[in-house]
Amino acid sequence: MKKMISLVLAAAMVLGMASAVTARAEEKTYTVGICQLVQHAALDAATQGFMDALTEKLGDNVKFDLQNAQGESTTCSTIVTGFVANEYDLIMANATPALLAAVAATDTIPILGTSVTDYATALAIDDMDASVGTGINVSGTSDGVPAQLYADTLLELVPDAKNVAILYCSSEPNSVLQAQQFAACMDEMGVNTRVYTFTDSNDIQAVVTAAVEDVDAMYIPTDNTAASNMTIISNVCVGANLPVICGEEGMCGAGGLATVSISYYDIGHVCGEMAYDVLVNGADVSTMPIGHAASPVKKYNPDYAQAIGFEMPQGYEAIETQ
Amino acid sequence: MLDALMVSIPEYFASLKFTALLRALPGGVAQGLIWGVLALGVFLTFRMLGVSDLTVDGSMATGGAVCIMLVLAGVNPQLALLASFLAGMAAGVITGFLHTKLGIPDILAGILTQISLYSINLNIMGKANQAVNVNKVAFLFSSNAKLLTRTIWIVLGVCVALVVALYLYLGTEHGSALRATGINGNMARAQGINTNRMKVIGLALSNGLVALSGGIMSQYQGFADVKMGTGAIVIGLAAVIIGEVLGEALVGRHMNFMVRLAFVVLGSVIYYVVYVFVLWLKFPPDDMKLLTAVVVAIFLAVPNLRAAKRNSFGRIAKQNAKAARHS
Repeated sequence: MKKMISLVLAAAMVLGMASAVTARAEEKTYTVGICQLVQHAALDAATQGFMDALTEKLGDNVKFDLQNAQGESTTCSTIVTGFVANEYDLIMANATPALLAAVAATDTIPILGTSVTDYATALAIDDMDASVGTGINVSGTSDGVPAQLYADTLLELVPDAKNVAILYCSSEPNSVLQAQQFAACMDEMGVNTRVYTFTDSNDIQAVVTAAVEDVDAMYIPTDNTAASNMTIISNVCVGANLPVICGEEGMCGAGGLATVSISYYDIGHVCGEMAYDVLVNGADVSTMPIGHAASPVKKYNPDYAQAIGFEMPQGYEAIETQ
Repeated sequence: MLDALMVSIPEYFASLKFTALLRALPGGVAQGLIWGVLALGVFLTFRMLGVSDLTVDGSMATGGAVCIMLVLAGVNPQLALLASFLAGMAAGVITGFLHTKLGIPDILAGILTQISLYSINLNIMGKANQAVNVNKVAFLFSSNAKLLTRTIWIVLGVCVALVVALYLYLGTEHGSALRATGINGNMARAQGINTNRMKVIGLALSNGLVALSGGIMSQYQGFADVKMGTGAIVIGLAAVIIGEVLGEALVGRHMNFMVRLAFVVLGSVIYYVVYVFVLWLKFPPDDMKLLTAVVVAIFLAVPNLRAAKRNSFGRIAKQNAKAARHS
């Protein structure tokens, strides 16, 4: 027991000394904590864009602490309270649960969110005007694309669609919002929509198999769980020769037909530029309007198109798939 | 793994600041104490009743959902927690009913309730994730850094109160009947105890505690999520077992029941401290869960290995082997 204690104390001493030994630069170094909800292409791209933007502007004077919550919202709280306890200069929250955990943990440290579709719903702030900021220590960039664009794309590709399936994970509020908006657009254009939801990756196969019966096309919003499981979904859809419109490029490249894509790297980059404004220029984060990406681009997956024997019209950019 | 970090080993160790770990600990301790309430609930079913109750994954989220929706409707946060407790009890009663009246094995009954609670929670919240504007409602349990010390004291108080309450309850005739049901169902029935009713009561109390933990957690993180309870049973069981192993190692023969209950909460705190420690190590995110499991395994194995070393049987075996070699 005594030996154990002395070993532990010795190790602690060594670690403590090691940190004291390295010389620190005299200039102001900013520490930015990044809490990412889960690993998939879109969120990773947003984080990369954010880090690139800050590194371009600040070089070595910025240190990142990138943590991943592995999809668990309570882990987001653990990560963010750690950031706040260590008094970081800024917190970047990638996805809604991370944003909410950050807001609960601090009302003084600036928080910039990204990959969040609707800040007003997420933060439960009534009558928030996104163009004048949130009024609390939060701002950021949104990955929302108007549902009308998806609806128009679907009808351009499948003009005589009568029934469209909408597929998403029931535990993701962003997906529910997008699905409702899409269904409303489709209703106006006289097309019937049917909603199919799954609870997690275990029931995707069964739900998708049921969904492809008797529909002319499928729409999948920017759903984190679907994005991580596109292979299963596309296997079933290819078998049914079904055109699939996805919410974003990563999903489409992994197994959809077409998408109206924004670049997650871009919204991460814009977020990084906002962070520079807050850190160096002292901009007030509570009055910064929510940023958006540049105009969406219509893209398609050539492998998927070939697999279901679909002729793509003009105006679509091909996604390079591996 | 380390080359993925693209730094040399001395640089890696230099980048880890011990002070950063110390400052991140209070958050981990606060969460550990909140999950300690859940661990007490799991202890009740797992150790006292001998039932593996998988309902907890669902009832934790139910507690969170009920609490958040009531707070949004303007109810006092503390009353909302009481409502969470009652909601959890209802969930436990359902599992108990499935198990005792319909004869479904306890694990399956728990799973069935857990699955149904997913839909029920979605219906309670209306959507998958419901936030509360933390700037408008003053929560006692807040993860806001300025209030964290206060939060820790309050949750500690709640845990102490629950430990004392459980201790007193399990000492009463009713509580002893519950323990008897878990130890030897046949003998308990022979003594005239209604074991079915005891199981339902035990499940109800346990899930009530779990839902209370979920309610406190949702106030702490400022939102309730339908998936917040996923993996709760694993954490609860880990906390119970860590507590037991540690209790055995540190207190040994002098452990009474109150200390045992306290160690359950301590086990949960230690689990979370390990988690904070692993986060601090900044290993690649993919390897986080493996690392947590490894650290917990080391924690649990060390006392056992030391005990085996000191065991008189082991020593005699070694002596005999030595004698056999010399002769």
